[in-house]
Amino acid sequence: MYSQPQAEGGQGSGPANNAIPSPVSSILVADCGTVYTKVSLLGLVEGQYRLMARKEAPTTILPPYQDVMKGVIQAINAIEFITGRRFLAEERLITPEQPDGDGVDVFVATTSAGGPMRIMVLGAVTPEREQLVAQAVAGLYAEPHSMPSPSFMATSASTLELVSVGVAGAGAGAWTSERVALEWQRQVETFREIQPDVALVVGMADSPSGPAPLQEACQLLVNTARDTARQGAEEQVCAVIYAGAPQYVEAVKGMLRDVAEVKRAEPLTSQADLASISMVVGELYEYEIIPRIPGFDRLSRWTATSPVVTANSISSLARFLAQHYAMNVTAVDIGASATILMQAGENGDFIPMVNSGAGVGSNIGNILQRVGLQRIARWLPFAITEDELRQYVVNRSLHAQVLPTTVRELQIGYAFAREALILTVEAANERGFGWIHPDLILGTGGILSHAPKYGQAALVLLDALQPQGVTSLVLDRTMLIPQLGAVASVAPVAAVQVNENDAVTMRLGTCVVPYGDIPQGEIALRVGVEYTNGRQVTVDVRGGSIEVIPLRPSEQALLSLFPASAVDVGLGPGERAKAAEEIDGGLVGLIIDARGRPLVLPENNKERQARLLQWMQAMGA
Amino acid sequence: MMGWSVIAQTLVRRERWPGGQLISVTPLVAPGQDVLPDQPVMLLERGVSAQPADKNALQGSEVVPAGLRGRVIEITPRGGVVIEGRASAVRGALGAGNQVAGILTMWQPATAQGATVAIPPGAILVVPVPINLAFLRQAMVSGVVGVVASSMPLPDLEGFLNADVIELLHSINVEAVQTRLPPLTLLLTEGPGMFAMPAATAALLARCQGTIALLSGVTSVRQHIMPELLISLPPGDTPDGWHPVLPEPTISLGVQVRVCSGEHEGATGTVVYLFTHDQVFLSGIRVPAVCLRLENGSLLVVPLALIERII
Repeated sequence: MYSQPQAEGGQGSGPANNAIPSPVSSILVADCGTVYTKVSLLGLVEGQYRLMARKEAPTTILPPYQDVMKGVIQAINAIEFITGRRFLAEERLITPEQPDGDGVDVFVATTSAGGPMRIMVLGAVTPEREQLVAQAVAGLYAEPHSMPSPSFMATSASTLELVSVGVAGAGAGAWTSERVALEWQRQVETFREIQPDVALVVGMADSPSGPAPLQEACQLLVNTARDTARQGAEEQVCAVIYAGAPQYVEAVKGMLRDVAEVKRAEPLTSQADLASISMVVGELYEYEIIPRIPGFDRLSRWTATSPVVTANSISSLARFLAQHYAMNVTAVDIGASATILMQAGENGDFIPMVNSGAGVGSNIGNILQRVGLQRIARWLPFAITEDELRQYVVNRSLHAQVLPTTVRELQIGYAFAREALILTVEAANERGFGWIHPDLILGTGGILSHAPKYGQAALVLLDALQPQGVTSLVLDRTMLIPQLGAVASVAPVAAVQVNENDAVTMRLGTCVVPYGDIPQGEIALRVGVEYTNGRQVTVDVRGGSIEVIPLRPSEQALLSLFPASAVDVGLGPGERAKAAEEIDGGLVGLIIDARGRPLVLPENNKERQARLLQWMQAMGA
Repeated sequence: MMGWSVIAQTLVRRERWPGGQLISVTPLVAPGQDVLPDQPVMLLERGVSAQPADKNALQGSEVVPAGLRGRVIEITPRGGVVIEGRASAVRGALGAGNQVAGILTMWQPATAQGATVAIPPGAILVVPVPINLAFLRQAMVSGVVGVVASSMPLPDLEGFLNADVIELLHSINVEAVQTRLPPLTLLLTEGPGMFAMPAATAALLARCQGTIALLSGVTSVRQHIMPELLISLPPGDTPDGWHPVLPEPTISLGVQVRVCSGEHEGATGTVVYLFTHDQVFLSGIRVPAVCLRLENGSLLVVPLALIERII
């Protein structure tokens, strides 16, 4: 048996420089999440790329391990055990694939373990610019904060409504010199408190305060750097991106000469400048934040290309699916520390949204803090005390890896999953993004992928996203979706084939959601189903209910919809619809969700709990 | 599966930094110098806390002991003393408060006659059973600098800290947050609830009674910081062939674990079987699982994801 362990430096001279054999017959892909590291083995089976094995292990970036590679190696060892193939020799990757089947041609990785990048927006920060920055970084693991310069606040106070980090902190009233001084002090403290990774300086010097806000932003960075140096820290305060008036670039660089290297982006004035900001911030994340992951150097040396940020991988796949199938695709990833919502339209529209603080594991506390007890409890078919919920949250924050062993824990977890997704939709709305009505909703992430029953995952997606019209629901049971974008960067054919053969095969079903004025308790929609074998079924669906009509994954049927006079199925109120093409079945079936949009839950606790149970029962959840 | 509560012997490198509102810090040692746990390593002057609520903030000069036996590796720019040494490490599930050094003292319950054992001021009190708010308040009055307990109810903990624990766990500036907490450092080995300390952890701490230990309660989910207690190994315990225990993330037969969530949360035992195939649980999930023999002798099947290694 011959095997060739890959040298620690890889086959190239540096990271992400490994030669990719052609054709590629085997790929190992590692997705290093904040809690679990998932490793998949892809290979050629009868000329098609397939998922051959998949295993996961705890991510090992925290003490006492502090090396992401321990988790990667543990997951690869598990794959070796079940496949009988060897991929590692003395903890080194065997590459390329050997004649005896050992080794692998390509290793790629994605990661979301780096945590969010904190961005402090400084200078002439108007609400419009704040909104633009939020839009620019929406698809990144980023956490924007804003702090307009004192002079800008003073001159804008009468005309602008500033919504930022404690903008009103220095006290109300006229902007006297004392108040400005207080504001300076407050800003230094806030800056120290937030400890941003990046300062983004914006402003065009066209406000009444002229270039002063830009100068003050720089001065704040200089003062903070001076304070930090006084306290003995050696590192730079943070990275600096300048997206302000071009005529002051050199002046800004001069002022910040001893503070940080200033990276330039296009002056932020309109939506046309978002791509530039997004690119520079994305690069900083890739080169400054991700490499902080313990063991990242070694991971990079193993990979054929630089490890891909998980959100980017999902966005690539969502856009690919939208183009490939000519449909609107919404991809959802509810993770331990972040929730991702990628909307890709068949016409090329794309709306990315990464909600870095909203996760159902270590970041579950953020969800409770943002939405409060009532919004969580509203999804539970039982009563819960605040103490129990807080205990649950603290436990999940400290032990993000745990899984629910009781139905009660499971339901609490799904309540948080719904709110994580709702918060993410809200965050997209706050940024002024539109909504692309999805033809296909694709769900991934541990809490969805591990759902014991398909109906549970389907209900979470329906409750949180509230689609209208006709939508297909697909569950990524294998959690391959976050990996395939990275695979596509080295082996696009493999990504496409594995996607079709293994990733999006768990079709939950087609979902019909009538909307408009749904008469609660009365017949809202009559559904006619004509199966391929000629059998016909007619079902009346009452407003406020969900009905699931049997239609298995291998089955297809023609659908006729007869809505009540004020009910819309996409053609206008009361307009009947007959599908020109057969619809596909799914693991749940044909779902008719006649609860109405927006979904309104009964206010009475007992009534609400009874209704939730009815819906769960209907969905087999 | 995650975590590793007790590492019997490891090599640690920690910055001795007491935190709080400090006006000046003067290191009393130099790099390369060997230090003992009770040896003063810095002189500091505390300022008045910026927080009006912090009535207990200390003022005046203070000598800070090393807390660890080892060698000074460097003096950080802010004046902290980085010490490297061999130690046993106990990682907590939850804690609060700045780094303190003190003499490990086992808590003795009051006798039937009501007599209590005096607790030396400046001690780190070890309580292998759940505690409550009243206990912590009394400990603070007694001049104890730290408490290592198994667990305490979440409302009691929040009452003592006068803070929202969920907020604390997610705060950005961890050091600043500690200055707003009561001046008593706390480490809960099992976290919030009413769980006893695993026998192995309690035994290790009992063996170390009377030694000086270094305790940090700082816990941050956001910054991946967990509370820890470091107890320097006696010089005789570290022969030439000494090597640190390297924690392995895998679970194998015979390891001692605790159940960290679910209806059996707090149970401790030994892994006696690793299932080859996934097991189904009440919630319906089908996941890798292990069988444990609990300390009371009974068997329990739990998901692998629910157990944490104790030692």
